[in-house]
Amino acid sequence: MSGNEIKYFRPALGSGSPTQAAPLPSIKRRDFLKIMGWGTVGVTLAGCDLPTTVTLEEGKETVVSYLSPEEYVIPGIGVWYASACLQCQAGCGIHGRVREGRALKLEGNPDSPVNRGKLCQMGQSGVQTHYNPDRLSKPQLRKDGKLVDISWDEAWKVLEEKVGAAADKSAGARVAWFTGTVSGHQAVLIGEHLDALGSKRHFVHEAINNAVGRAVNQDVLGEAMPRLAIDKAKLVLSFGADFLGTWVSPVHFATEYAKFRSGARGVLVVAEPKMSLTGANADLWLAVRPGTEGELALGIAHALMKSGVSVPEAARAAVTAYEPAKAAEITGISVQRIEQVAALLKQHSPSLVLAGATVEGQEQGYQAASAVMLLNVMLGNVGKTIVSRGEFPFPQLKPRTGNTRDLVAFAAAAKDKALDVAFFYGANPVYTAPASLGLVEALQHIPFKVVLTQFPDETAAQADLVLPVASSLEDWGTHVADYQPEQGVITFQQPLMEGLYPGTPGVGDALLKLLKMREAQKYGAFNDYFSYLQNAVASLPEQYKAGGLTNKQLWEQTLQKGLLTVDSAPGSLKTNVSAITLGEVKTDAEYPLRLIPSPRLGLWDGRHANIPWLQEAPDQISKVVWDSWAELHPSTAARLGVQEGDVVEIASAHGAIKVKVYVFKGVHPDAIAVPLGQGHEDYGRYAKGLGVNPLKILSPAVDAKTGELALYSTRVKATRTGVHEELVKEGRDNTSQRGRKLVATITAEQFRRTEGV
Amino acid sequence: MSLDNLTKDWSRYRKGIEEGGFHNYQHRWGMAIDLNACIGCNACSTACYAENNLAVVGKERFSKGHYMHWMRIERYWDEDQAKAEFPTQGANFLPMLCQQCGAAPCEPVCPVAAAYHTPDGLNAQVYNRCIGSRYCSNNCPYRVRYFNFWSYYESAWPEPLNMQLNPDITVRDKGVMEKCTFCVQRIRTAKDAAKMENRKVKDGDVTTACAQACPTNAIHFGDLMDAESAVTKLWAKHQVKRHDDEGLPVSTQHKQNPALRGYRVLEELNTDPSVMYLERVREELA
Repeated sequence: MSGNEIKYFRPALGSGSPTQAAPLPSIKRRDFLKIMGWGTVGVTLAGCDLPTTVTLEEGKETVVSYLSPEEYVIPGIGVWYASACLQCQAGCGIHGRVREGRALKLEGNPDSPVNRGKLCQMGQSGVQTHYNPDRLSKPQLRKDGKLVDISWDEAWKVLEEKVGAAADKSAGARVAWFTGTVSGHQAVLIGEHLDALGSKRHFVHEAINNAVGRAVNQDVLGEAMPRLAIDKAKLVLSFGADFLGTWVSPVHFATEYAKFRSGARGVLVVAEPKMSLTGANADLWLAVRPGTEGELALGIAHALMKSGVSVPEAARAAVTAYEPAKAAEITGISVQRIEQVAALLKQHSPSLVLAGATVEGQEQGYQAASAVMLLNVMLGNVGKTIVSRGEFPFPQLKPRTGNTRDLVAFAAAAKDKALDVAFFYGANPVYTAPASLGLVEALQHIPFKVVLTQFPDETAAQADLVLPVASSLEDWGTHVADYQPEQGVITFQQPLMEGLYPGTPGVGDALLKLLKMREAQKYGAFNDYFSYLQNAVASLPEQYKAGGLTNKQLWEQTLQKGLLTVDSAPGSLKTNVSAITLGEVKTDAEYPLRLIPSPRLGLWDGRHANIPWLQEAPDQISKVVWDSWAELHPSTAARLGVQEGDVVEIASAHGAIKVKVYVFKGVHPDAIAVPLGQGHEDYGRYAKGLGVNPLKILSPAVDAKTGELALYSTRVKATRTGVHEELVKEGRDNTSQRGRKLVATITAEQFRRTEGV
Repeated sequence: MSLDNLTKDWSRYRKGIEEGGFHNYQHRWGMAIDLNACIGCNACSTACYAENNLAVVGKERFSKGHYMHWMRIERYWDEDQAKAEFPTQGANFLPMLCQQCGAAPCEPVCPVAAAYHTPDGLNAQVYNRCIGSRYCSNNCPYRVRYFNFWSYYESAWPEPLNMQLNPDITVRDKGVMEKCTFCVQRIRTAKDAAKMENRKVKDGDVTTACAQACPTNAIHFGDLMDAESAVTKLWAKHQVKRHDDEGLPVSTQHKQNPALRGYRVLEELNTDPSVMYLERVREELA
């Protein structure tokens, strides 16, 4: 806020020595574009403007250290740099305040169409990921069964032996990358590395994902990730899609929500088995029996049909089968409520109906999510509140979106002894994989496991070689979010400061190093990822240099803004509805409850459990800190004879966890919700040994259509252990306003009268 | 109030609150928090930790109430649904921070005038003067003063976490009371910048960390003395008035239109808060 201009960072690699100019590799233009990430598009390159690795300042780049600071660096005055937030996959832009060479505070980048200057608590905590006291600073190699510190030279030598040019060529196909969602030039280089090895094995895993929803979108609408115009909707009906907290692009949707709630003020109805942050903001909240959201959607569709809304022919049988009375019996939502929601949907047009993880994470998740999408089709929302985003112009840079199908496939490949070398980056599968997948045992069949990470996480503990990488505030990169707002955007990441641990490479640098081991000729010209990215920007299609921008100007402008806006012409969406078949809802006498491994805005899938701010930030709903808890409906708690703080054992057919009870009405009596994020066996001082990890006891059941793990389908039983421990919460048991005017409420009708438009 | 004045005119100082407090303001920093927009996400609170060197205390100390979050989200459930099986609406979220009262109950009880009123209308806390009597905290109806029961710096920022500490402000030690300052360091920077340019601080020059982070723009910050500021306009739009607008001895609502959403929490206590809340809005669907 010091009113400073946003600057861009000059990496201080040495003191004052110019990097060597190197000629471009003599490779074909098409190959060059592929390396640069602009491949497979009709790009015209200006012949005279072919970049070299040294594009700045007349062919020479002088690298400046802090010994001779830039003139805008004044001691005591902060300078703001634009960069990218990597705390989740939403692709928010950030501004980082830097003073005396230290990154201090992160804010949202107002120029970013994703987060519009705003930043969630996970983004705010980026500095604590960066300065985390448990970051790894030295590479480690497994010797005699134990990980021991080694030098970087030794680490690269080991890698050269395993995956370098001298390594057996035919073995390349037995190398795999296992990552979280990756995009931009990082994804390009991972792809290039696998190509260079002759392998196609890139497994992409995220425990919090919307893979089933993307599949439904693709099949029904023809686009996996269309734009959702929440602000244009007059009513949003969410089936467990926690778009304000943990779903797809929470900060972006929160900014849209603010518009949605102003003026004419849209209505928010949420149906889910456990109240999410979005549910906690609903005008009408419906506790649906877990695993029956699809039936509820069809019941609402039936009520709409009876009131004259036409049903696509393919889905008519399914809709006809679920009269509200039948849907009510299955879902626990009364006929009157079902009809009320149908009436509201009809009355508030256009609306927007969303399906989230609790719908999708079922054995019939695809079918249930299709039933939810059917409502959008019936209500005519497609084209109004669900609109085409168009094809991203640079397919190579598009995100490889994470899912759980790849986790299953990876465990199977490892078990089949199909892999010799596995690289892990941006994922912690040993923590996120259900024990029933047998991943830890399967990993024993991969002879050489390389983990690129900042932290000693559970996967690093299984590694043969651990390579510490730069934090997101020390690294270069480009990132493309799966969900693109009105304006398509590539977010640029630049270091806010020098690396805390000398020698620790950026992820891109590590990838280039691996590539050079295999194809020295093709990649030798790039000194580092920084020069690679400069070349990438310089080789952008001409249209990005409008107004006669030189390569240098384009590079500086892009870094100062922290993003590059791209054009993608929106097409039009289809409404290709297929038949929907929901089977019988199964019950299990032995395991009567459903386990809801509920994601938290904060600890996310567990990756932020090592951030002290987020551990101490109370959960939005339960207000619990530094712990796990099991949310039980009062009636369930009474049946088990437990109260808040009593420890229950939650057992599935695949394992058991012991956790303290939190009695809460916002959870269905047939469900027991345990939040994600805790239960780390490793991962540093702030994470280790706190709470439990509900993912561990999940069943390996998958969605029949997509093969995604049915994360919300595991049946469990809960039993009292007799142990009692205090649950540490903010505000203790202070949940009532006791008649005081603390949070006052007026009706929406009144609001529209006085403030509506 | 300086310590000199304090000792000279002790009884007048103690009675200052009954006279309506300090009136000769240069600025009057204030907020409007729209509960229709607030989603209870906690971004504001974490932003405050990052900006103001707030210590993380750990589970054990948290359980004793020794936490230090200057900005917290209170969460209440509807009382009329106590007998219902499920909540039919969401929660009631209330971002709670120091209300920077015009007639602050915390100020006159301080035996050493560590809690004092600035010419900007802030309830400031002079850490060096504070002896840790905790009278101020006891007297605060909003429970927004936080006491350093421990030397948190010994454990809260193991290296290199300490490198993140904001050099514009201090790290507090044991025995000292601390509280929300409306990001006074940002206000200071903005005032200095304006002075260098020989102009007045204008709306938008300064915002607090919480307001800047808030994804739904629920928090508005600005100068209530500046007729052009967005906050002043919001207060006027919702017909909420400060004491000194009319020299009122007690807080009185003069709303022509009672349907307007503006109110101040516990204003019946005559604390004259600088934070106006806008009522939450819900459909009547239950």
